[in-house]
Amino acid sequence: MQLGFYFDQTRCTGCFTCIVACKDWNDVPAGPASWMRVLTVEKGKYPDLFVAFLATACYHCAAPACVDACPVNAITKRAADGVVVVDPAACLGKDNCELCLQACPYSAPQFGAEANAKMQKCNFCLDRLAEGKKPACVDACPMRAMDAGPIEELRTKYGNIAEATGFAFSEKLMPAVVFKPSQDAGNLVPSRTLIAPESARH
Amino acid sequence: MKHKSQNSEEQIINTTCSSHCGGTCVLRLHVKGGVITRIETDSGQEPQLRACLRGRAYRQRVYAPDRLLYPLKRTGERGEGKFARISWDEALDTIAREIIRVRDTYGPASMLHIRMGADLAHRHTATRMAQVLALAGGFTETWGVASFQGGVYAETATYGTNYGCNTRDDLVNSRLIIMWGWNPTSTVTGVNTTWYLAQAKEAGARIIAVDPRFTDSAAAFAHQWLPIRPGTDGAMLLAMAYVMLSEKLQDQKFLDTYTVGFERFRDYVTGTDDGVAKTPAWAEAITGVPAAAIVNLARQYATTRPAALIAGIAPGRTAYGEQYHRIAITLAAMTGNIGVHGGDAAARAWESIPPFGGYPYKLRQGHDVSNPVNRMVPAPPRGAPPWYRASKVHCNEIADFIERGKAGGYLADCKLVAITNSNYVNAFPNINRIVRAFKSKKVEFIFIQEQFLTATARLADIVLPTTTFLERNDIAVGAGLAFYGYAPKAIEPPGETKSQAEIASLLAARLGVKLTEPKEEEWLRELTRDSEIPDYDRFRKQGIYRLPMSEPHVAFKKQIEDPAANPFPTPSGKIEIYSQQWADLHNPEISPVPKYIETWESRNDPLFARYPLQLITTHFKRRAGAQFENIPWLRELESQSVLINAIDAQARGINDGDTVRVFNDRGETVIRARVTERIMPGVVDIPNGAWYQPDKRGVDRAGCANVLTSDRRSPGGAYAYNTCLVQMQKL
Repeated sequence: MQLGFYFDQTRCTGCFTCIVACKDWNDVPAGPASWMRVLTVEKGKYPDLFVAFLATACYHCAAPACVDACPVNAITKRAADGVVVVDPAACLGKDNCELCLQACPYSAPQFGAEANAKMQKCNFCLDRLAEGKKPACVDACPMRAMDAGPIEELRTKYGNIAEATGFAFSEKLMPAVVFKPSQDAGNLVPSRTLIAPESARH
Repeated sequence: MKHKSQNSEEQIINTTCSSHCGGTCVLRLHVKGGVITRIETDSGQEPQLRACLRGRAYRQRVYAPDRLLYPLKRTGERGEGKFARISWDEALDTIAREIIRVRDTYGPASMLHIRMGADLAHRHTATRMAQVLALAGGFTETWGVASFQGGVYAETATYGTNYGCNTRDDLVNSRLIIMWGWNPTSTVTGVNTTWYLAQAKEAGARIIAVDPRFTDSAAAFAHQWLPIRPGTDGAMLLAMAYVMLSEKLQDQKFLDTYTVGFERFRDYVTGTDDGVAKTPAWAEAITGVPAAAIVNLARQYATTRPAALIAGIAPGRTAYGEQYHRIAITLAAMTGNIGVHGGDAAARAWESIPPFGGYPYKLRQGHDVSNPVNRMVPAPPRGAPPWYRASKVHCNEIADFIERGKAGGYLADCKLVAITNSNYVNAFPNINRIVRAFKSKKVEFIFIQEQFLTATARLADIVLPTTTFLERNDIAVGAGLAFYGYAPKAIEPPGETKSQAEIASLLAARLGVKLTEPKEEEWLRELTRDSEIPDYDRFRKQGIYRLPMSEPHVAFKKQIEDPAANPFPTPSGKIEIYSQQWADLHNPEISPVPKYIETWESRNDPLFARYPLQLITTHFKRRAGAQFENIPWLRELESQSVLINAIDAQARGINDGDTVRVFNDRGETVIRARVTERIMPGVVDIPNGAWYQPDKRGVDRAGCANVLTSDRRSPGGAYAYNTCLVQMQKL
């Protein structure tokens, strides 16, 4: 079984509640580590604009690049649910390594501000899962734009679309996510992407 | 209210957030060993009352390292920030002594009390302190609501009431929603507002944003964005009325049945009375909105039923803001969208500000203040702005009151300032003038109740540390949706902090006045006695009581369905498009016909040559007013920046991320520039609420917009935060 996320990009208002809820639940201080980030993709020239938001944590890929990249096997993919987890005790730390961050196209690996910070990232709120709850970000979303669960169930419920504005699906890694994308019908240019928190590593 | 979770040491406590954004969203606190360890939101049945990022970050506010925990007295100069810890006895004895001395020496009107709704509550409101001061002989009150005085005045004149809002769940019944200067993604203003907007869109509603900015709400919801110059909203609305009239699209039956004075408005719009037809071309030149877009929007609004014109309160925070609101209401009447599901009365002022609510409810109000100073002057004329009285001082005129006192026509010289639930200095226009006044020796004593050492607290002589809403018992009235929340004391007050009610009682005793003060629980139970709540104890346990509603509340439904039995509470019993009460004031700037009056500091002002950018000061999602500015989880999300269009930035050699100075004759602030396509050229935006931080030269280093904004008030009392010219320069 593989757990994954659903994200309705047409509903996201970029309100950042998921980021704060994640930090509060997982006790992550303000600083460069943020398990959840929100990208704001801005396209076009005044007054013809298109803006979409993308809440992004870790997609717990079927073939995670971070697991392959880690020289000391500190990152593992759980057989039971496909959640990708890190053992901070085994991690070499950001001053020595950061190979996982370089390997991940979605910037999921995060490092705190402390010296030789160990990697930390979204763990799908395994503690909440054990209590029968969804991850903190999902239950926090004021727009009910997110869901989480076995990816096959999500595909049945929401469809198979794995593309969204600001997201590039990797056939190699197979991120566990389905989307309801927000589409820029006008193919507007230029574009830029802002990231919150501004201090997060990406 | 308290449940044992699976973890036996941990309690889960339900409460409703109190942060002046009008959210009253549900927070589920995890409390372990008397400490809040986590905050979740509603997890019950839908519609859950889900909290925004500010509520979710509240743990960092309660346990903030800069939280005030002990009473302080000033040891340096006012504003210098030097304080020493003192005991509560010394603090309260000093305050009582000063109140008695100033009252007996200069009279009660020399004491000014500034009280706001920064902590939305029912029992622990700023009114407690006002009651004490009233009982002690009286005080000078302020008038004018910073957020929506223009709206309140307009609605009072037109509808005779401010209960003009629908509950948010009615949005899903709209087929067209016009978000006019309204960005609920940031402001929240009622739990679940954006969720209902999304549902309306998914149900097929067309959504249009009229706003100088391409806001996050516009990005998420709007099919079309119409950028408009600040302060010109009335002109565009008038041109829409012109289109409806020339194409005979108005709902004449509605106008004939429910309104008075439409003919006067029609003659003004067509130009019969002043020779100027308010055509789309006329409006284009003023607003910057293409005439064709105005025609198009007018047709859509007139022909799509039902349609909700959500006339935000931001465009009302301009010079003559009350006129904008009156024109918007007139359009809602012309399209017959008042009192119907999916429509909107274009009345927003009290949409979600507890304890007023947007819907009728029976919970008793807590406090009355009978202030002897207000009895020193005659009652105001009919048609005067709500809360105006000759004895009161408009919040924009506090510096003037201090500077000139009796010589300026006030009842007294201002000698003492008491501040409750307000970061007044930071939140109101023209900070530099206010700071000069507060620092002057004319004010002999200033005291404040606060949670943090704000710009206002730094100017005080005594600072009393207060509780947050998590540290005392209270009841909240739901915003946007119809519910009550029980907000229990979840943790003990940290340090020596005390609640507003307790401070008021302690001070009353020292002043020798009797504050009727039943025990907290008895008092809250008493408030709910004749309310909808059938079982108070069960309400306390559950934390939320949803009012029984068979359908979403729609304002004025009764008046529209059966007008004979339900007249509007106006003198005529109808919607007063022409206001005889305003006509009787004989103030040429308070027009009884809803009119566009060009603002001061417009693009035609001679000042424009020196200050060619229009500044707006909008709400930032990581703050509520100035609250939450010091919360790390929120601060890191987005920098305080001035938004400037790429065209204006290029003309000034400014790149994204550059440090710039923004300035005018009133002040200067240093801030980061965010160069963007998402704001109209000629307009810049500094989100309000950054904490004023002057350097040695008096230049603000924090990006605090109110060093720039003007304290000239609209004739109807509206605050003109969004009427302000500035210039910008790369540092």
